[in-house]
Amino acid sequence: MSDDGDVVLADWTHPVEWGKVREFARAVHDPRLGREPPVPPLTFPVVLSAEFIERFVSELLPLDRRRTVHGEQDYEYLKPLQVGQVIRCRAKILRDEVKQGQRGGRMRLVTVEVKLTDASSGETVGFERMTAIEQEALTS
Amino acid sequence: MNAAVLPDPPAFRFGPITRQDLVRYAGAAGDFNPLHYDDAFARSAGLPGVMAHGMFSAGLLGSFLVAWVEDRRVRRFRLRFKSPVWPGDMLQATGSVVRSYQVDGGRVAELVLKLGRQDGSEVVTAMAEVECA
Repeated sequence: MSDDGDVVLADWTHPVEWGKVREFARAVHDPRLGREPPVPPLTFPVVLSAEFIERFVSELLPLDRRRTVHGEQDYEYLKPLQVGQVIRCRAKILRDEVKQGQRGGRMRLVTVEVKLTDASSGETVGFERMTAIEQEALTS
Repeated sequence: MNAAVLPDPPAFRFGPITRQDLVRYAGAAGDFNPLHYDDAFARSAGLPGVMAHGMFSAGLLGSFLVAWVEDRRVRRFRLRFKSPVWPGDMLQATGSVVRSYQVDGGRVAELVLKLGRQDGSEVVTAMAEVECA
């Protein structure tokens, strides 16, 4: 259980590593690339949750990747991430529902939220929310 | 009023997107969904070939946002994925200030941003909240 009573799907820690931040900043062409210490790009939290998301999509739910698209991504930043921090990540499902699609057929919408806290101070640094949309399989 | 809270966004063009961009992002992000590097798998999903990660496009739009607001603190960045990016695409980003409002200790600007192709079609749309002194 999390602090607010919700069921936590996964709970793990991940360091904010110098080399990983630099590699990610280069991959997304962050204009701050080259600063010392490296500054984590706005979307860097995906690195912290990549292994979980892989397991979540392919094993826990699971979703068929051939029919699944990434719908939304939402970040709330309370404190800047810094190289050297260890981040505790706690994931929970905000939504898992089936809706009628605009072009006919049903679709499954799943939103997962990862709460990011500084592992040593316990301070919340931000939230990452991801929404995946799986289209119904064609039956023809 | 809005012009006073932030300067105009810089011009941001990127591309053409290459497979190397996709592979570099996959390694950096640890996201090895085969849709992004395996043409046969992508075709089995009905796609013409590999496509870029949505979060690669999101990362590019984040870089545009940072280039625009510089070291001002970003409070929120919310993205909607509209269409995939393919190798060869040329992308450009645009943004504007929607409104700004006073909060304790300063002012917050609400921005809308868009990453699109040269033909104007949308790839990613986003909103952001940025603290402005």
